Amino acid sequence: MSATPVLVYRAAPRTPPRFDTFHVEVLPAQTVLDVLHTILYEMDPTLAFRRSCRSAICGSCAMRINGRSRLACNTQASDLVRTDGRLVIEPLRNHKVVRDLAVDMRPFWTSVRAVKPSLVEGSNPVRKETHATGAFEALRLVADCIFCASCVAECTVREANPDYLGPAALAKAYRFVADPRDGATRDRLEQYSEPNGIWDCDTCLYCNEVCPKGVKPLDAILRMREAAVEEGIVDNPGARHALAFTQTVMKAGKLNEATTAIQSLGIATFLTPGAGNLSLAVKSAFKGKAPEFRKKPIKGMDEVLILAEAVRRKRKADRG
Amino acid sequence: MVVGREVVVVGAGLAGMRAALEARTLGAEVAVISKIHPVRSHSGAAQGGINAAIRPEDNWENHWFDVVKGSDYLSDQDAAEVLCKEAAENIYELDRMGCLWTRDEKGNIAQRPFGGQGYPRTCYIADMTGHFIQHVLYEQMLKHDVEVFDEWYATSLAVEDGRCTGVVALSIVEGRLEYFRAKATILATGGFARAYRTTSNALANTGDGVAMALRAGAPLEDMEFVQFHPTGLYGVGILVTEGARGEGAYLLNGAEERFMKRYAPEKMELGPRDIVSRAIQTEIDEGRGPGGKPFVWLDLRHLGEKKILERLPQITSLAKSFVGVDPVKDPIPIQPTAHFSMGGVATDLDGQSPMPGLFAAGECACVSVHGANRLGGNSLLDTIVYGRRAGRAAAAYAKSARPPDDGSAALARAEQHVRDLLGRRDGERVARIRTELGDTMTAKVGIFRNGPDMAVALATIRELKTRYAKVAVGNESHEFNIALLDALELGSMLDVAECIAMGALDRTESRGAHARRDYPGRDDERWLKHTMYRRHGEGVEIEYRPVRITRFPPQERRY
Repeated sequence: MSATPVLVYRAAPRTPPRFDTFHVEVLPAQTVLDVLHTILYEMDPTLAFRRSCRSAICGSCAMRINGRSRLACNTQASDLVRTDGRLVIEPLRNHKVVRDLAVDMRPFWTSVRAVKPSLVEGSNPVRKETHATGAFEALRLVADCIFCASCVAECTVREANPDYLGPAALAKAYRFVADPRDGATRDRLEQYSEPNGIWDCDTCLYCNEVCPKGVKPLDAILRMREAAVEEGIVDNPGARHALAFTQTVMKAGKLNEATTAIQSLGIATFLTPGAGNLSLAVKSAFKGKAPEFRKKPIKGMDEVLILAEAVRRKRKADRG
Repeated sequence: MVVGREVVVVGAGLAGMRAALEARTLGAEVAVISKIHPVRSHSGAAQGGINAAIRPEDNWENHWFDVVKGSDYLSDQDAAEVLCKEAAENIYELDRMGCLWTRDEKGNIAQRPFGGQGYPRTCYIADMTGHFIQHVLYEQMLKHDVEVFDEWYATSLAVEDGRCTGVVALSIVEGRLEYFRAKATILATGGFARAYRTTSNALANTGDGVAMALRAGAPLEDMEFVQFHPTGLYGVGILVTEGARGEGAYLLNGAEERFMKRYAPEKMELGPRDIVSRAIQTEIDEGRGPGGKPFVWLDLRHLGEKKILERLPQITSLAKSFVGVDPVKDPIPIQPTAHFSMGGVATDLDGQSPMPGLFAAGECACVSVHGANRLGGNSLLDTIVYGRRAGRAAAAYAKSARPPDDGSAALARAEQHVRDLLGRRDGERVARIRTELGDTMTAKVGIFRNGPDMAVALATIRELKTRYAKVAVGNESHEFNIALLDALELGSMLDVAECIAMGALDRTESRGAHARRDYPGRDDERWLKHTMYRRHGEGVEIEYRPVRITRFPPQERRY
């Protein structure tokens, strides 16, 4: 087998970042971690990266490999070489680089800590039988998380807003929201409904897609939104937007941008000079794109209502 | 800068975190130092479960007997007694902390059978038991605001008049060394099976704490007893839980024969690990692997897809990722893999070393509970029970101990050592010495041993130590220099490996995981005793101490 070009992102304090190209003979069944070790041990002892368990459970070796966040230890190198002809290895995005492929994880751990991730003893101790009914099944959605930060690296909201809690921490948050033993569900939902929490997610789905353990942070976030609304925690733009959205669709079968915007932000914010919303509306109107304030229901409105009811019933069943 | 705390814990796996939590909740000022972040620790890779007698028809004394018999009677029976007696309360305590035990249809904590035990008493969470407990303990660490210095590599213990006064550690991110002054220091650095070529262990399991204790003058115990897990993924050695056999998986040779009937006719696949590993190795050595290859099959197929995916999801994905096999459709190729260190830093029942101020818990300690062979499901239990006891004892010790001096000598020595390593431009690279060490240990101090091979191994290890003294790191940077860490870790492994080979060579009998072809029988008359290792000048001296037998007289071990 001939040598494969392996491009590795290099960065160190006091030197500008660059890519180094190593030519490595990639053997069948070798993982990307094996390739990095070949480079470290045979070519360049200055390469820096994290790794430990090499069996996809410790979460140390997440990095960007051929354009996507993955664990180096369970990514077969030859598969990527076959399709791409080379390996391109970069540090996780949305994190500051410490050196080469090692990123600063401190903001990640700060987000985890911020969701208060420990069980709060509830006033309703769970009976033995509760366990038998599968009441803990929902937690399985997120419990496999190994905090590798792949999801945070791909999160489009975190990219724009470093203060957003991010998918990993919110998945952890859901672990407690969904736990019938936890005694702080309402406090949690209130906290997570604040800015930089569950309503900041733009549902781009990347977190679900890249998770190497099959955790679904997005699903967890959406479930927390529903739970928050059900708890009546609706005094925030995110919940108001969701409710307004639902309302207009249920009324007319389509979205009414104007009323949705006003209801989400509240009329006062909408009219606040400088907030940008009113001026956007005025500008849009001048360009002939003024949204109609009253919409006639679409044809087949009855079918919309039937569909909505079916969705509602399914969601209820899903939640048990 | 000097960081001063009452209790410093080195290592943040299950034992370290449990110890830190206990000391913290008792009011001690605690700092945890770990070379990797707590949730990255290798306890998280434990799959199958944790033993406790929690059913009315079971009792802790049966568990106690199983531990002692499993240990080939080398376990100190008072230590095993504590382990089994305190098991149940620890399981329920983890439950209250939020641990999500797998439950049966009535809602009770489910239990599966594990090797070498007379009752199915292994509590579990699918096949990710260690992962879940690790996260629960980390959650508790956050809740109780335990201070963690993660990505700090402890290089050495500080000793003042024979008393341990803290540790010196290197910040991996920044490259600077600091002295962590402590009245009590708890080592919880895990095992050292990384000294072997084929191992289930993480790259981090290099025996740093054990080597540190030895160098500081604290005694080690029973280092020659290294457990080989019967089922490592072929080629890579990654763990496939004993829980697979607990759920009913078969071991098959190339002729698709359930060969365990010839080695442990009663217990079959659920014999204790030493016996099953030797059976597999014998099948391989005698050419009965498929096509004469060095592996056998672990067959789960008859369990059915539902049970496999529900109870064994992690090993299903590991088998797919690392050997390209879907266990629902095909058998998994497996071979024994170096797994667990029964030996370690000698301690009493409170985790205290004979060196004042020094404590140890978990795999890096030797209480001794596991003796010559640990039973599956007892390592997690050991970390929780003895982690807690060590934390409690260390907190109490710290309350009464006088504050230590400045420790600047230890810091200066560590700084000099690192400077020497970084400054050496020419010399052999770490990787080659490490490879030779792994090959030597696996080939000559492995599952089956004999005198001449081990003598060669010991000579090789000592030659490697000489070469290591002139090793070159090839990377002078301070920030995130993993080549430097590799070099420091290799130093630990060489010291540990020397002890393993010395103890194994001297022990002219076979007991538990220590199986000699030239001395195939157990010899209670001469060898019912613990091996103790202590630094002596540049070398290591061996002594022995008697086994504490309180209840069960040694008998022949049959399964």
